[in-house]
Amino acid sequence: MLRQVAISCFIAVLALPAVARTRPHFGGTLRVEVQGDAFESSNGLILGLLMDGLTRIGIDGNPQPALAVRWTSENNDHRWQFWLRPGVQFRNGWPLTSEAVAASLTQSCPTNCPWKAVHALGTSLVFTSDFPVPSLPSMLAENQFLIQLTDAGDGKHPPCCVGTGPFQLAQGLPLSLVANENYWGGRPFVDKVEIVTHRSVRDQWLDLSVGRADLVEVPAEELRQAQQQHLTVVSSPPVTLLALAVSDSSLLSNPNLRSAIALAVDRSALSNVIFQKQGEVTASMLPGALTGYSFLFPTDRDLNKAHEVRGGLNTPPLTLAAENNPIMQLAAQRLALNLHEAGFNVQVANAATVLHKDLALLQLTLASSQPQAALESMLRSVGVVTPVVENTPAGLYKTEREFLGTHTLIPLLYLPRAFAISGRVRDLRLSPDGSPILAGVSLEDAQ
Amino acid sequence: MNLRQKLLLLFSLTVAAAVAAVAWTVLVRIRLVFEQRDQQETALFVSQFQREFQHRSAEVAAAVDHIAASERVRTMAFQLVQSGDAAPYLTEAQTLAQDAQLDFLEIVGPDGKIVSSAQWPARFGYFEPIAWVDQPTFLKTEDLPDGTSALGLFAIRAVGRSESTAQPVHIIGGKRLDKSFLADLPAAPGMQIALYKEADQSPSTEQPHLGPDFAVFDPKRLINATGEVPYAARYEHLIDTAFNSRQETSAILYLTDHREDSVNATAIPLKSDRGEVLAVLTVSISRSGMVQAQQHIRAIAYGVAAGGILFAILCSLWIAAKVSRPIEQLARAAEQVAAGNWETHVPERSRDEVGLLARSFNHMTAELVSQRERLVQTERVAAWRELARRLAHELKNPLFPLQLTVENLIRARALSPEEFDEVFRESTQTLGMEIANLKTIIGRFSDFSKMPKPELERIDVREVLDRVFSFYDAATPDGNAIHFQTRFPTEPLLINVDPELIHRALCNLVLNAMDAMPNGGTLTLSTNENGEKVEIRVADTGEGMTPEECERLFTPYYTTKQHGTGLGLAIVQSVIADHAGTIAVESRPAGGATFVITLPRSSC
Repeated sequence: MLRQVAISCFIAVLALPAVARTRPHFGGTLRVEVQGDAFESSNGLILGLLMDGLTRIGIDGNPQPALAVRWTSENNDHRWQFWLRPGVQFRNGWPLTSEAVAASLTQSCPTNCPWKAVHALGTSLVFTSDFPVPSLPSMLAENQFLIQLTDAGDGKHPPCCVGTGPFQLAQGLPLSLVANENYWGGRPFVDKVEIVTHRSVRDQWLDLSVGRADLVEVPAEELRQAQQQHLTVVSSPPVTLLALAVSDSSLLSNPNLRSAIALAVDRSALSNVIFQKQGEVTASMLPGALTGYSFLFPTDRDLNKAHEVRGGLNTPPLTLAAENNPIMQLAAQRLALNLHEAGFNVQVANAATVLHKDLALLQLTLASSQPQAALESMLRSVGVVTPVVENTPAGLYKTEREFLGTHTLIPLLYLPRAFAISGRVRDLRLSPDGSPILAGVSLEDAQ
Repeated sequence: MNLRQKLLLLFSLTVAAAVAAVAWTVLVRIRLVFEQRDQQETALFVSQFQREFQHRSAEVAAAVDHIAASERVRTMAFQLVQSGDAAPYLTEAQTLAQDAQLDFLEIVGPDGKIVSSAQWPARFGYFEPIAWVDQPTFLKTEDLPDGTSALGLFAIRAVGRSESTAQPVHIIGGKRLDKSFLADLPAAPGMQIALYKEADQSPSTEQPHLGPDFAVFDPKRLINATGEVPYAARYEHLIDTAFNSRQETSAILYLTDHREDSVNATAIPLKSDRGEVLAVLTVSISRSGMVQAQQHIRAIAYGVAAGGILFAILCSLWIAAKVSRPIEQLARAAEQVAAGNWETHVPERSRDEVGLLARSFNHMTAELVSQRERLVQTERVAAWRELARRLAHELKNPLFPLQLTVENLIRARALSPEEFDEVFRESTQTLGMEIANLKTIIGRFSDFSKMPKPELERIDVREVLDRVFSFYDAATPDGNAIHFQTRFPTEPLLINVDPELIHRALCNLVLNAMDAMPNGGTLTLSTNENGEKVEIRVADTGEGMTPEECERLFTPYYTTKQHGTGLGLAIVQSVIADHAGTIAVESRPAGGATFVITLPRSSC
């Protein structure tokens, strides 16, 4: 018996470190490398670390309290009131007030806002709208509506990104963030996040392999390669919509031409080859997993019908603008080839430099896991302010069908976001828009 | 142009022509030699270039061979054949092309579709027609994503060919024929390599280019290693010829108006495996060095020729002077002889023909002087004889009546005194008349021998004629059958003459005319201007004269009159000659006679 107890004790002692290893440790520096600009509002990592929204999307996809602790709607969702979390301070020590929040939201959304007016009312904010906005709490979780200080008190603009987030910008280079010790949601585990921007994927992977980086990007088209290289990959569901925006002015004002373009695109080639079968072919704006009706939008290419719809109409050379990165340029080239087969002469150009564009290859982020909010956000991102009144699959389908029927936006693929992490990184989770939640990350070797 | 100038011109032209002919021959020969050498050099450079081009072709073939033989590609080919999944190899061509330093690389799957394309990555999945060619490399026009097309030197290799696989994977790699390719080619100093490719056609995804259209030459499409070729338009004909003939073509191109800006250009048509001309490669070698050398030699030749011609002119001057001087002396001597200076003598310097001519001339003048002296002597004797004959004749006529009268007086002594007185009176009367006649004859001879020297005055000829006309018109009785008339110009005609002598001469002519018209007629006095001369005409309507009479008319002592001395017209001719004038007669039998006196007109 004593022998059995001794053995049990010995095993328990041996198991203690294992138990200890499952508990996150504070400290350490997380090294992150990205291809683009870390301050981008859509896919950027930093804004979400420096600032908070009034709400945030929980794991279940529903809006959760953040800077707002509760909210109510009145008048059939025409009026919303959000009560602020007390005791929250900006990075500079200023208290979070309803006026500051209202000013931040007004600045971040000058036009095409889901609300008509926002104003402070005591410790709360009141949103009013001419149409019902049932998904406002979800929309307020988007990066676009993160709260930052807009007035330094002396009438001048404060430095960038003075928010209430779990991290704050550190001085000097490289770009680094330090943990906000007084974060209302609790101090992040890591002390510091160093971010290297504009790093190619190959270099990121090399740095990861030699231990110079802890978290690097894995583009969708490289997912298979990453898996073949046995990288530890954390990927999201499809959250990025690759779509072709078609200008309905001048050259393509004829809807038949736009319809011919929609029929001529070859989504399967994009998905199977360029994005290495990691994309989800779609002709709808919302992914099928979110709505269930995506299959109702045909994705097959019909070149004969495209020719038929075009009806021999000729257009001058069209300009297709795409981001200046290899995969987007390649996808654009492929689309140009598709359209060439349908009788269109398309020249691919860099979106950053081209002045006039007839077509644009866009990456739209699924901002919310709630279909209504996601659809509204997506429509808003392409310049359409259309209230999605009916929060039912049929209503959403109808809204989508009506909008996509104009063929000013041709959805192509849904792509996941993915990151590769080093063995040091623990507990990395991705938000519904696919961005990594670094505040919850801890490091294995942290003391 | 005198003899010396003619000789000078002849010698100069002869020497200049000779020098020019020699210079031209030398220059033409030099130009031919230079051009021959230039063409040989160009041919050498072109052959070197073609070898280098073939070497580059071999490099492309070797690079594609290397890729096809690599384990990586063989594995890929195996997996493609086995699984048919081309997606993992989308960027494979770019990586392989970068490693092999190729501009073009396409991996074509067993199904004939592009698996991966380095030059146009988006073309995956499209069919790529595989054309097997005999050559290890071939030329092809490749469409590019930007809508343009590029000419490339390609090689194609099959990977994974085995009995079990009906269709292998193909690797099609190539290098672009562009500015960098041209820059890599070794070029000799002065050599310029350029490439002409026609305008891009719209890219086709299913059909490759069938070859460019050379219908319109675009100078901007002729590029070299640094960009557009200067004076590209000058290459149009050469490139067009090479394109149409499909043969290597050479020509000398003058790029500007300066000859040194010319090139010896060779156009090499670049053909596809189907024989279509896809582009034209031009190899141009500057002729500036050769042209400058030619110009240098030409300048020397021109200088030598100019010096030679100048020297020839100087020599010609000397020779012409040496040859023409004796002849000129002879000419001057001849002129002096013609002027009456028969004593002229020319020096006899040489023993050649000119010397013989001078000696003959001197001999001739000596003979002339001698003969003139003899002639004068003879004429003097003849004149005395004629004078004696005339005197005898003239004096014999009066002497015979004198003799008869004297004999009659002698015989009359036998007659009665009354009859003697009668005979005596008649005889003395006859003697007196004959003696007077003898005096007249002697007086005329005396006048002929004593012609006075003219005292010239400047007078109007019309006054002289008017005086003569007034003299005879007034002296002629009204019943005379001779009618006088005058024809004078309105303007004065001035002459330098002795008025009295001219008056006497004209009166003599008028008297002769009146004698020629015993039965009456018209006597006309007229004058007119004839250039620098003044003509005076005395015309009658008498019997006229025969040509023989006209010829002898002015000979002294010749007369057609029964009692004429033959000295009247001789005196007239002497007077006119003393006034530097001439006298002539125009007459025909029964046609009257006209005496024409020509005198120099007085200058103002």
